[in-house]
Amino acid sequence: MDEIRRTFHHELEDVHGELVTLSARVVENIPRGTEALLAGDLEAAERIILADEEMNERAFGLEERCYRLIALQQPMASDLRALMATVRIISEVERSADLVVNICKASRRIYGVELDPRVRGLVSRMSDQAQSEFRFATDAYAQRDAPLAAAIGDMDDLLDKSHQELIQAIFEAHKAGNCPLEVAVQMALVARFYERIGDHAVNIGERIRYMVLGEFGQDNESQQRRASFASPTGDQTS
Amino acid sequence: MWAIAIGALVVGLVAGGIIAVVAVNRATERAETARRMVLRSEQAVVDASDRVELLRHALDALPQGVVITDERGAVVLRNAAAASFLGVPHADALVGDAVAELLAAALKGRTEQRLLDLYGPPRRSIEVLAAPYPLGGERNGAVVEVDDVTEKVRLEAVRTDFIANISHELKTPVGALALLAETLSDEPDPELVQRLAEKMVAEAHRVNRIIEDLLELSRIEAGEHPVRQPVAVGLIVAEAVDRIRHVGDARGISIHVEEPSRRLVVMGDRRQLVSAVANLLDNACKYSDPGAAVEVDAHTDGQWVELEVADHGIGIPSRDLNRVFERFYRVDRARSRETGGTGLGLAIVRHVVSNHGGSVSVSSEEGVGSTFTLRLPAGPGPVAVTTREAG
Repeated sequence: MDEIRRTFHHELEDVHGELVTLSARVVENIPRGTEALLAGDLEAAERIILADEEMNERAFGLEERCYRLIALQQPMASDLRALMATVRIISEVERSADLVVNICKASRRIYGVELDPRVRGLVSRMSDQAQSEFRFATDAYAQRDAPLAAAIGDMDDLLDKSHQELIQAIFEAHKAGNCPLEVAVQMALVARFYERIGDHAVNIGERIRYMVLGEFGQDNESQQRRASFASPTGDQTS
Repeated sequence: MWAIAIGALVVGLVAGGIIAVVAVNRATERAETARRMVLRSEQAVVDASDRVELLRHALDALPQGVVITDERGAVVLRNAAAASFLGVPHADALVGDAVAELLAAALKGRTEQRLLDLYGPPRRSIEVLAAPYPLGGERNGAVVEVDDVTEKVRLEAVRTDFIANISHELKTPVGALALLAETLSDEPDPELVQRLAEKMVAEAHRVNRIIEDLLELSRIEAGEHPVRQPVAVGLIVAEAVDRIRHVGDARGISIHVEEPSRRLVVMGDRRQLVSAVANLLDNACKYSDPGAAVEVDAHTDGQWVELEVADHGIGIPSRDLNRVFERFYRVDRARSRETGGTGLGLAIVRHVVSNHGGSVSVSSEEGVGSTFTLRLPAGPGPVAVTTREAG
């Protein structure tokens, strides 16, 4: 019996490690995608787009492992919470990887257009903030660190503010004739993609807190977010 | 008859006794041999264990991560560096993923190598090398080495770009001069001749500026121990502003100097420090939008003096931030040609502050502006300098 439990916990650790790796890939791909977008590096963008297939396969494979463990081991208490949280976090990570792919696809559509410096600066800032949030989420999950996970929500306010500033800067650049309409639309979508990545990082933080503490955050924002778990995320694919 | 029988018995007993004694002696010898063998084996085990410990300590002392597995891929030894190579969970996970993948290849008998370019922050380049090692017969284990080659990769990029950039910077004006002179020699139209001659003068000045900057850089590099005397920061700034004011005026850019609350002093070579600050101001004026302001501020914590030059210009992309202090490194080649820079200004700044035991850093956001910060050792105290020295 002990041997079976040992194998089960070994499997749980393995699943945990695999999800940390997938999440770390997203942490890496956020600045990579941004650099491809801002430098007009279509080859770099293509590499990220093509690598997404493997990301999807690994994510689905991991999800299946979780379902198999739940079915065969019938985990209880913290083990069950860990597996349920992991299943939810997998989809947040996989979705975030898709959003980075969308940013890379946008680099094809704006290719050859010189972006307004203010817009470039705000894109860089949003990328840095989204990456920070995702890095915190990944590290918090890796270390099962609930306080670190709780900090992600506060960080997201900054990203939301930058999102608004970027939209404003896009409007202004378009009005000043420095940004064609189709590029302005693409950049507004890109802004939305970063903002959504931040939201996914916050969701991961919520799941980590549930996994570690056995409860969701009690603040209003957490409750609103919890309510939104049930509704469609509003992510856009392109 | 009885005597014979008793005699035979005695002889038998004696012989038996002798045989028994010999047998006991042999048994004792064998036991002793066995005991010595056991001791030797124990010693061998202790020695082997000591050697394993020694090997482990030696591997733990390496900055490179080392992982050794048996033929089934089970980890036999993992040194301290490999346990947490980068000390950051998400980065370690990516390194671990590459290690696992390459280990699998090595167990199949292949030697494989991979360079991981991690965006960080901080940005790191990690090399992972996996190779099989024989275990006898068809069997093999695998060993992986993980090495941080960030500095090596950076230096390689600097070296390749430097050669490409220096040939571009020097060949462009020289090539232009040759072409202009060739056109000029057959040109009868005096108006065109005048225009071409003006262009030639501009290109000649450009070459001259590059040569002057190269000489300045080599002078600073040669003087590793510059003159160290107390110099008022206010004087350095005032002289640098004077030198650059015409650049700012030409573009309607004002230079605001924030007066420090008390007189700040640094130890160093005034001429070199003025050159460094003037280079920063020159850059700030050239990369600001017309009509914008450039701000200069200085403060101290008692040990260091920090002098900041901030502009509200186009800013520097984050991927170029770490490289702007390299010689001839260009963020935007087209624009830098318009501004007439030589590509050596920031390299001069870095060398000056480095010679003074200080450092220079930059923070920037595109579309917002850049702030360059010089950090220099603070001087012994206020100096009463009221007039500018000649120089």
